[in-house]
Amino acid sequence: MSRATVDRLVLAGFILLSVLLYLSTDSYPGIAQKTSAKYVRFLAVCLGGLSLVQLGISLLRDGREDRLSLTEHLPRFLGLIAALVAFGLSFKKLGFFIPAAVFIPLVAIMLGQRNPVLITLTTIGLLAFVYLIFIALLGVTLPGPRF
Amino acid sequence: MEYLSVVFTLPALLTILIGTFAGVVVGGMPGLTATMAVGLLVPFTYTMDPTLGLMLLGGIYCGAMYGGSIPAILLNTPGTPAAVATAIEGYPMSRRGEGGLALKTSVVASFTGGTFSVFILLLFAPLLARQALNFGPAETFLLAIMGLAGIISIADENTSLIKALLSGILGMIIAVVGTDDMSGSLRYTAGLVELIDGVDFMPALIGLFSMIQMLELAGQRDHAPIDTSALGGARKRAKLPKGIGKFMALGSGTGTVIGILPGEGATIAAFISYNFAKQVSKAKAMFGKGNPEGVAAAEAGNNGCVGGSLVPTITLGIPGNSVAAALMGAFIIHGMIPGPELFTIYADRTYPFILSMFVANVTFLIIGLAFAPYLARIALIPPSVMVPVVCAFAVLGSYALNQSVFDIYLMIAFAVFGLLLKKLGFSLEGLILGLILGPIAEGGFSQGMIIGKGSPTIFFQSEIAKVMWLIILVLLLPPLVSHIRRLRGTKAR
Repeated sequence: MSRATVDRLVLAGFILLSVLLYLSTDSYPGIAQKTSAKYVRFLAVCLGGLSLVQLGISLLRDGREDRLSLTEHLPRFLGLIAALVAFGLSFKKLGFFIPAAVFIPLVAIMLGQRNPVLITLTTIGLLAFVYLIFIALLGVTLPGPRF
Repeated sequence: MEYLSVVFTLPALLTILIGTFAGVVVGGMPGLTATMAVGLLVPFTYTMDPTLGLMLLGGIYCGAMYGGSIPAILLNTPGTPAAVATAIEGYPMSRRGEGGLALKTSVVASFTGGTFSVFILLLFAPLLARQALNFGPAETFLLAIMGLAGIISIADENTSLIKALLSGILGMIIAVVGTDDMSGSLRYTAGLVELIDGVDFMPALIGLFSMIQMLELAGQRDHAPIDTSALGGARKRAKLPKGIGKFMALGSGTGTVIGILPGEGATIAAFISYNFAKQVSKAKAMFGKGNPEGVAAAEAGNNGCVGGSLVPTITLGIPGNSVAAALMGAFIIHGMIPGPELFTIYADRTYPFILSMFVANVTFLIIGLAFAPYLARIALIPPSVMVPVVCAFAVLGSYALNQSVFDIYLMIAFAVFGLLLKKLGFSLEGLILGLILGPIAEGGFSQGMIIGKGSPTIFFQSEIAKVMWLIILVLLLPPLVSHIRRLRGTKAR
């Protein structure tokens, strides 16, 4: 999809959001009608108004239709997001150290690192650093495994 | 003296040393920034002694601002965006065998700029904070609007003026999520218990300033090889050129003033200082070919921004730039709300924090003079190693503050959505400022409306309010005029 198209879609989304936001303030109870509701309406009007102006400028401009690319290497990009979600999921049960010991080498290999010594040293080095500096020296409480 | 004694204890000195060294290392790694480092570490300071936690972050801020210059000079690879101006002069110096002189100029200038700006912070912050005592809800609301008006000045060739403002407003809208302070009712939480207290800005900060960089690095097809040929001459000892002090002073003053303006960052400070130096220099022709005067002005400028940016942050609660926004987060999580209270109730934490930054400046001066040529190799660390390490810290940092896995998902969501907005020319700094200023603005607006019995004239009544409107206009008008001119220019072409 072209950059201009995505831009216009996002701006249209903002306009829709501003309308929904404005309408939602009708349900604010009691004193909030005279205070918070007015504030939210102010934000909604600003968001909608500015988005409309920007959309108008975008439509008038004869822009180049260059493609919008979030990343040059989609598998790595998505792989990192998936790995982060998995890291987050394992956090509650396993704490920081065990998931990190798996996550770091996995992501390093995924990003093209093939030196096993470097990967091992980085993983051990980071875990030791976190333990020594944060836990031993600075006294920070980090989550541990809950079996 | 009492506050100085807090700084000169072993734990405090060790904390400052660790923070500053970590800052220099982070600053020296291309792709990592001071905002990222401070943002990542704020949650970890939660369980630390507040004063030590703030000292750690202050050290990182000072160190990172300097650290970016090392690979900029020796490898033509600025560690931080603020060091781009330094690379313009520093790298040609290295190429002709004057890397040692460029490094020395850079560290002494950074020290001068940093020390001067912290001195200004120490001198003016308490005075400005005292003025904040006269602020009522209306003025508090206007203060937040003033901070947002500052966003407009961050608009550049990558971020359009309207999109910068849109980003700020979007941040304020995200800040509306959670419990309404006026009625106690829940707003826009989608039934999620984790959103009852609203969207915490720490996961947002980590997502927008740390994770985005990692996603971008991970998604790059190829990484350009770095030219290491100039590393050899960096160990030669050299004397600072005569008259260089003038350019350090110029950069220090410029950087501090620019730092005080909301929304203006170290990159702008470095470039403006560099341009000033170019204008007043007797060796104009040497600029671009390796002039130490340019290095001195740019480095004093970006480090001058450190103390300057903290003036509005800790006195008025308006972050001077994105690093200051992250630091403000650290103050808030320790229950220290920016304003006059920081210099009265929490004076025993605030003053040692400010004083610790003098020590941080001395620390990076020593580190720079002794180890800079060796530290340049940090820039050679491959992204395939750096990305998983920073990601691990980002996940840990997002989780640590509220012990919430939801915050990790929030951080990832902010990173992906933020990347899309960034690619479309929206301002991430604006988004985070809006998120931070949102609750301040809403509180001031709602209370103001109650006092004014529903009439918005309350926001125009007091003398302070009138002055603040004037400042808002002054902040908004020049960029608006130049934006309209630019639009007309584009149309004419």
